[in-house]
Amino acid sequence: MNRYDVIVIGGGPAGLAAAISADRRGAEVLLIEREARLGGILKQCIHDGFGLVRFGEKLSGPEYVERFIKEFRERRIQSSLLTFVTDMKKTDHGFVLRAVNRSGVHEYEAKALVLATGCRERTAKQVQIHGTRPAGVLTAGTAQHFVNLQGKMPARKCVILGSGDIGLIMARRLTLEGAEVLGVYEVKPTPSGLTRNIVQCLDDYKIPLYLSHTVTRVFGEQRLTAVEVAEVDEQMQPIKSTRKRIACDTLILSVGLIPENEMAEKLGVRLDTKTKGPVCNHRFMTEVEGVFSCGNALHVNDLVDYVSESGELSGTAAAEYAEKMGSTKRREVSLNTDASLQYLVPQKLALSEGLDKVIFYFRSREVLKQGTLVFLVDGKEVFHRKYRNLKPPEMERLELNCTSFGLSDASRIDVQIKKEGDI
Amino acid sequence: MNVRSLQKRLNERFGPTVSVQVKDGCIVVSGHLDSWDKIVAACTMCVDKKSGMHVVNDIRLDGVRIPKMRTPDFQDHALENAAPDVLIIGGGISGASIARELSKWKLDILLVDKESDLAVQASGRNDGEVHPGVDLNKGSLKQHYVLLGNRMFDQVCKELSVPFERCGQYVGFTGKWMYPIIWAYVWQRRYVCKVTDTRILKRKELFRREPNLNPKFHFAMFNPSAGCVCPYGLTIAYGENAVENGAKVSLNTAVLGMEVKNGRICSVKTNRGTLYPKIVVNAAGVFAEDVARMAGDRFYSIHPRRGTNSILDKKSGSLVKGIASIKTLQKNKKHTKGGGILHTVHDNLLVGPNAVETYEKENFATQKGSIDAVFAKQKLTAEALSEKDIITYFTGVRPATFEEDFIIEKGRKTRNLIHCAGIQSPGLTTAPAVALDIEKMVISELKKEKKPERNPNFCPVRKAPPVLNQLSYEERNKLIQENPDYGEIVCRCEEISKGEILDALNAPICVPTIDGIKKRVRPGMGRCQGGFCMPLVTKIISEFLQVPEERVRKAGEGSGILFGDTKCTDEEVAE
Repeated sequence: MNRYDVIVIGGGPAGLAAAISADRRGAEVLLIEREARLGGILKQCIHDGFGLVRFGEKLSGPEYVERFIKEFRERRIQSSLLTFVTDMKKTDHGFVLRAVNRSGVHEYEAKALVLATGCRERTAKQVQIHGTRPAGVLTAGTAQHFVNLQGKMPARKCVILGSGDIGLIMARRLTLEGAEVLGVYEVKPTPSGLTRNIVQCLDDYKIPLYLSHTVTRVFGEQRLTAVEVAEVDEQMQPIKSTRKRIACDTLILSVGLIPENEMAEKLGVRLDTKTKGPVCNHRFMTEVEGVFSCGNALHVNDLVDYVSESGELSGTAAAEYAEKMGSTKRREVSLNTDASLQYLVPQKLALSEGLDKVIFYFRSREVLKQGTLVFLVDGKEVFHRKYRNLKPPEMERLELNCTSFGLSDASRIDVQIKKEGDI
Repeated sequence: MNVRSLQKRLNERFGPTVSVQVKDGCIVVSGHLDSWDKIVAACTMCVDKKSGMHVVNDIRLDGVRIPKMRTPDFQDHALENAAPDVLIIGGGISGASIARELSKWKLDILLVDKESDLAVQASGRNDGEVHPGVDLNKGSLKQHYVLLGNRMFDQVCKELSVPFERCGQYVGFTGKWMYPIIWAYVWQRRYVCKVTDTRILKRKELFRREPNLNPKFHFAMFNPSAGCVCPYGLTIAYGENAVENGAKVSLNTAVLGMEVKNGRICSVKTNRGTLYPKIVVNAAGVFAEDVARMAGDRFYSIHPRRGTNSILDKKSGSLVKGIASIKTLQKNKKHTKGGGILHTVHDNLLVGPNAVETYEKENFATQKGSIDAVFAKQKLTAEALSEKDIITYFTGVRPATFEEDFIIEKGRKTRNLIHCAGIQSPGLTTAPAVALDIEKMVISELKKEKKPERNPNFCPVRKAPPVLNQLSYEERNKLIQENPDYGEIVCRCEEISKGEILDALNAPICVPTIDGIKKRVRPGMGRCQGGFCMPLVTKIISEFLQVPEERVRKAGEGSGILFGDTKCTDEEVAE
């Protein structure tokens, strides 16, 4: 049996950061990655814009993640690549994992687990696209894999559904590679991706963005021949009279990401219905003692810089947990949010640990020109901060000292965004 | 039958444009009408089961050109002058199981299908239920074969290494007052129809077994003999075992015409050459009528009926452990049980199907309305059922006759032809039993010339490749040591290794397409629907075939996935 203090599952930006910080904290670490190379999805993100927050420079995805891989290698942290975890069990002493790779089936034991399993893309069927089942309907990430990693063109003349960031990036990429991008259709009245991507990927290339529009049907028996698009009403239902058929050979979907937590769920980790990631405290520990979550598995981030940050924090916390396992009792208070927030991470505060520096990530439910984030403890305001231009697609980060909140086990914390005028 | 009174009733309901007559031992309905539903209704009205005659539909649909059968758009001479003892037309569950049973004999067997794989039409778009036959009345071929077929499944699936589970079927009832009626019905099914496992489950027992069903169910009709199987998995396994035993399968091969002389098929024209079979088995599904017409033996008609099923994420699999549906006692006018919820052998839930009459035999496009209707109904079976768990959906077309029964008999006019037609539900369940009878018919026909010999090398057991995630730790480890490709996971949702994909490519019937691999070993069947693994599977296929990745297809001709290298000029692409 191979024993470790911390096993990190996933070798993308979150997992790498977690492994490095756990190692820095003195833990015996193993990182398990299912692909043949470290780097996760960043391997295929050859566009720039990564690392502005963390390094103050614009890096490509591979450049950004290479910095972490370099440190990971320098620290001689153990890793097992092309290795797939098939089974996880909680025991009295921690966890037993089973994984397969080209050399066989292996068992590992760990005191703490960091789940850095990333996210997956929503598919055509999950957004109720009907019609035939031809070749040429694929997600933006799959298209990106083909173009950037395999050097192959999956499209010549395409329509993109959804204005998520990967869809916007792929609109530009495919245009640069010689394909014709007929338009990006977004069912919501506002774009889903970052403003900078709308400008740099669509506007600069004169690719039209159709808001409040969706693709309702696909045509073609073998390869896609056309899609049907329609305007939607306020309930996001297609308006029949606006239906239009557009000839194209490819439909690319960028309609949302879902954190991958199937393994976490098998361990009994409870998920937040808003983030689709685990409910965790500010040390990134889930409700299952010893299981930590970070990166896009925890909640879908728009900037990799924050993915690395949560990885780093969860790695440190996991190493500390492994060190003094079982010596402290869990004492936590939930953070209650109302409809003004799309979500808030973490969902809980651990009372006995590091309340002097708590990092919050949140998204507003609505587009707000001005709004105030308010923390209430037992109905009394303990903190507020004013924000300008809050938008659901743009996640906000907040660092806060919560020691002055005067929290006890019985405290009730409410977090809300008040619109201008409400206060 | 009284044709005059039937004609009168037809005219009363459909006006003067329809007429019925008895011709050549068939009930021929002709004329023209303005809607397909009317045509189906008119033909159904003319059904007369006692006469032994079938309804042949010659009514034209006003203003509509019925789409022609889609055929592969290439031609070669691969089969030119082939003279098989038996030509089986159609590679669905019927054709594949017949090929396998016939491979017990020393015969030259050729199965052709116009599609690029087996089980592409009805057999690949089926819910996979192995029916107990409780809903069928005595006297029909369906009922006769369903009882025989159901019993054969344990053995057949064991021999062919296909997962099969007798998970039981529950039909729930909400009205207490229905109890005496259903009690009588169950008695009749047990003792008259010989569906001997039928019984009533009281509320407590029902909820002990299936705790998530509609809490308003007072009792349920229960058939423990009902089961589920992967329909295309079984079809492919039958086909592979047939090939292992010497049969040949030619895909992308469409039958385009026949030369018939003196009541015998002399030759069969395909896009891959002209064949000279001794005997032809018509297992052509929705196109069985077209094949019958080519053979000069069209004595029945097929009216296609579309149905849509949804597949739900495995996470929702625990909602229903067997097969469950709700029954209200309103007269069911549509020819279906209204679908149900089925726990598949791969631990997903399958919800559906519905039933819609259509003249389009190959329109497999899905529609939102079908799914909405099925879910609205099935939420009455299990409240917690949610559309949010849908990972995919698909539509199939059932080949129904107007008599709503199978046609399993020798040609009425053409002697070297055997029909296995009208095989709609429960055709998957009946296939093993029907195949045995067709085998007998073929042999007795061939005997007239020369008695066929037994195939001394016949082995009923398919050499199935291993399914790694079903193995024990030790077995899995051992196999990976022998073949490291078994340790390299390609499909993360379904946990499929590269080794298993290569096994599928090396199988007796190699279908090196994304869909072909998906049907055999399941990469792409999971919740990401191939988002992660499709590029990897494409690469494995291209390496196996030693062709560039842009030559790899999703399914048939023209379904290429890639257009060549990036930064390619148009001229380069054209090359």
